[in-house]
Amino acid sequence: MSETTVAGLTTEEMIVNVGPQHPSTHGVLRFVVTLDGERVNECVSHIGYLHSSLEKIAETLRYEQYITNTDRFDYLNGLGNELCYVQAVEKLLGIEPPLRTRFIRTVMAELKRISSHLVYLGCYGNDIGAVTIFLHAFRERELLMDIFEAVTGGRLLYNYLRIGGLRNDLPTGFGDQVHRFLDHFPRRLTEMTDLLTENRIFIGRTRGVGMLTAEQALSYGVTGPSLRGCGVPYDLRKLRPYAAYDQVEFDIPTFPEGDCLSRHLVRMEEMRQSLRIVRQLLDKMPDGEIQAEVPRRLRPEAGEVYERVESPRGELGCYLVSDGSDKPYRMHWRGPSFYNLQVLPEMVRGGLVADFIATLGSLDPVAPDIDR
Amino acid sequence: MANTVVKTILDVIRVWAENLARHWGIPPVFVSILAWIAAFVFVIVLVLLMVLLAVYLERKVSGYIQSRLGPMRVGPIGLFQTPMDALKILTKEDIVPRDADKIMHTIGPVFFFVVAVAGYVVIPWDRGAIAARVVDLNIGVLLVMALSSLGLLGIMVGGWGSNNKWSLLGAMRAVAQMISYEVALLLAIVCVVMQAGSLSLAAITADQGGSLLQWNILRWWMWPALLLYVIASAAESKRIPFDIPEAESELVSGYHTEYSGMKFGFFFLGEYAHLFVIALIGTILFLGGWQSPLPGSIADFVPGFIWLMAKALAIIIITMWVRWTLPRLRVDQLMQFAWKGLVPLGFVAILVTGLAVALGLGGGGI
Amino acid sequence: MWGYVRDIWQGAKSIVVGHIVTFRNFWRPKITDRYPHSDAGKNWRPGPGYRGGFALLKSDEEDRELRCTACMSCARACPVGCIHIEGEGKGKERHPVSFYIDMGLCVYCHQCVEACPKDALTMTDEYEISGTSRAVLVRNLEELVAAGEGRTEVSRVV
Repeated sequence: MSETTVAGLTTEEMIVNVGPQHPSTHGVLRFVVTLDGERVNECVSHIGYLHSSLEKIAETLRYEQYITNTDRFDYLNGLGNELCYVQAVEKLLGIEPPLRTRFIRTVMAELKRISSHLVYLGCYGNDIGAVTIFLHAFRERELLMDIFEAVTGGRLLYNYLRIGGLRNDLPTGFGDQVHRFLDHFPRRLTEMTDLLTENRIFIGRTRGVGMLTAEQALSYGVTGPSLRGCGVPYDLRKLRPYAAYDQVEFDIPTFPEGDCLSRHLVRMEEMRQSLRIVRQLLDKMPDGEIQAEVPRRLRPEAGEVYERVESPRGELGCYLVSDGSDKPYRMHWRGPSFYNLQVLPEMVRGGLVADFIATLGSLDPVAPDIDR
Repeated sequence: MANTVVKTILDVIRVWAENLARHWGIPPVFVSILAWIAAFVFVIVLVLLMVLLAVYLERKVSGYIQSRLGPMRVGPIGLFQTPMDALKILTKEDIVPRDADKIMHTIGPVFFFVVAVAGYVVIPWDRGAIAARVVDLNIGVLLVMALSSLGLLGIMVGGWGSNNKWSLLGAMRAVAQMISYEVALLLAIVCVVMQAGSLSLAAITADQGGSLLQWNILRWWMWPALLLYVIASAAESKRIPFDIPEAESELVSGYHTEYSGMKFGFFFLGEYAHLFVIALIGTILFLGGWQSPLPGSIADFVPGFIWLMAKALAIIIITMWVRWTLPRLRVDQLMQFAWKGLVPLGFVAILVTGLAVALGLGGGGI
Repeated sequence: MWGYVRDIWQGAKSIVVGHIVTFRNFWRPKITDRYPHSDAGKNWRPGPGYRGGFALLKSDEEDRELRCTACMSCARACPVGCIHIEGEGKGKERHPVSFYIDMGLCVYCHQCVEACPKDALTMTDEYEISGTSRAVLVRNLEELVAAGEGRTEVSRVV
């Protein structure tokens, strides 16, 4: 490179390890980054530190036993993962869950999306250097955690969805609790927007940084807010409505620039849309059964199924092969973080070290979701 | 009044000490040397206490801003947390990386700390008494600035000697940043010096005497310099939004990544000592130093060094407020901001101050 | 030129707004709690659906102590296999002689409680389950029965 030579002096490239022990790798990730001074020349990601063999475990567990494991790979989207898995098994068995169940599942998935985006917001602020937003975001997330705890008994690992139904119906006072949150949260969201999103330094750090074109994104299989941040309105909730998404009105926020700022703005707007969805669903919540008729032993016919949902990070897919026994023959997860991370070297090449961190954070990867 | 009381007490002590020395047959030269050492020890102890207080305040302020309580366990409302942490840091294992340059690795933090504390010798704590200052230099402000840029050497030596790439990157960033902002900081100080007509910190304080309205912060022609000083001193103390040498989320910990135990403690304490000296200089330059806001009133009963430290603490709390609000700048933005924003602003400030002084608004003149 | 000035103005404004936000938060009530020391922390109990430690419930029937019939439903339902039971007796006489739950293995999924046909096993609101060795984390029959003292309902969200 021409920049390495200044008046006959040559500098060496420096290879640094970002991770596995690094403050902003969102779990245990490792990148080998080649630096020319502050400039990033090459970035190679090394994954697998959090591989927990969840796909192999599925082959040893009965269908209904596996649900609790789905909470554990993308731990910020536990209920969404459960939704994906449960829908896949239901598809395999040909079971249709009752309407109320579908509504409740959707409400929980959307609340979980808000909570996941709040974690993103806090961590991203932390990556950029604004530490306070981290605790403000987690403070609001705590209210959601209380809601999840009241409904499912767990704060992070829920094991709430069941094949063809739910573990239990909504607790008394659920509507009030969620409505309190819905009334309270938009104010705090505005406050957090004031604190971080509109800050001139934040905009300076993210605008034009980590550029991703729509073509690149599509060719690498990037999905979710990272893709919508390139102006592609690809959202499975709209394109292929599952659960109760066909019952509600909402918009898919897209921003065309493809930089860190537009990815950030997509997530901020998605939180508002999720609030809108939850409000509509609560108003329309039907009464009735929550559990469909399910055989005592789940033995799907031999066959295969692929089910996908929109997780906060993108398209989450669950591929199941049944050989007719009560355990899956093979299972595969399409973790959105894994696919989104692949495009990182393209985005950070030529940027600065600080841009590398900002870009990594804007992809919102969850390390166990990459490795599974 | 109170000041004279304090002064009288100190005089009595001094006379007593001198008599004692004469009784023991110690020559008066040693007495004055001992007095110097005593004053220096007084300053060091004061500084360390203030540093501990500043660290405690930092934790409390950040906690309160973040809806937390901050330290609460050790002592009433967690007051003993920072002394305990200082003790803990003293007892921790001192780890030197195998491939580090051991001498440089040791010298770096010590040098940084010594230089950061050395700046205190020229601070005028009070009017004329024994604690006024350790040495009265007529180039006091210049010395402080020179020492604070010398601290860079400690950072660079430590960052290089650690044999860690993150440390090296952090140290390089620190040097680039400090050199750039030193320029802006000096331009701001030049304005004050033009106003006071002296480089001596005591003279600068005296220039703002008389009443509250004489403080540089309330002289409108000093406002560009004030703005410049606020921004540049925040960068000088390496705090968010200018904390790129440490940049926790990027460089792990920057130049002190490889430090542990007391060597880390030296960096840590040195940083707060430096922060405090910058706040003290800011107080002297713009807030009237040790002078009470209402001379001739009851406020005079509070000794001058209390006023000085109270004002400096107020400045420190404001820098904490800034630190826990803003994101961090990027390294190129930081340099751009220094050279394209602050240095031109410095020239504007000098122009404005110069005009005011020339028109007779200012006090001392050149 | 005008754009430059406006940029500075907006930048300064956004920074001031940020400081107002943090200033306001400085005075808000704090949400953290001095957990074991404060009254609220000491008295806090989780909701009825909380999934914490385990307990075996006492039977209402005269001739048996526990509801558990050592039918192994819970052990079969457990995804990690952390429940080990040995039963004794036939038919109505059947009862557990040893009942181990390894809390170090347990994933707190609640599936054992749901699988139990007799509502004999429950999760409790015990949440301080840490121990200093792995052996401490294995709950035996006596501990489980003691934990269920006075309890009649299984854990369930209501």
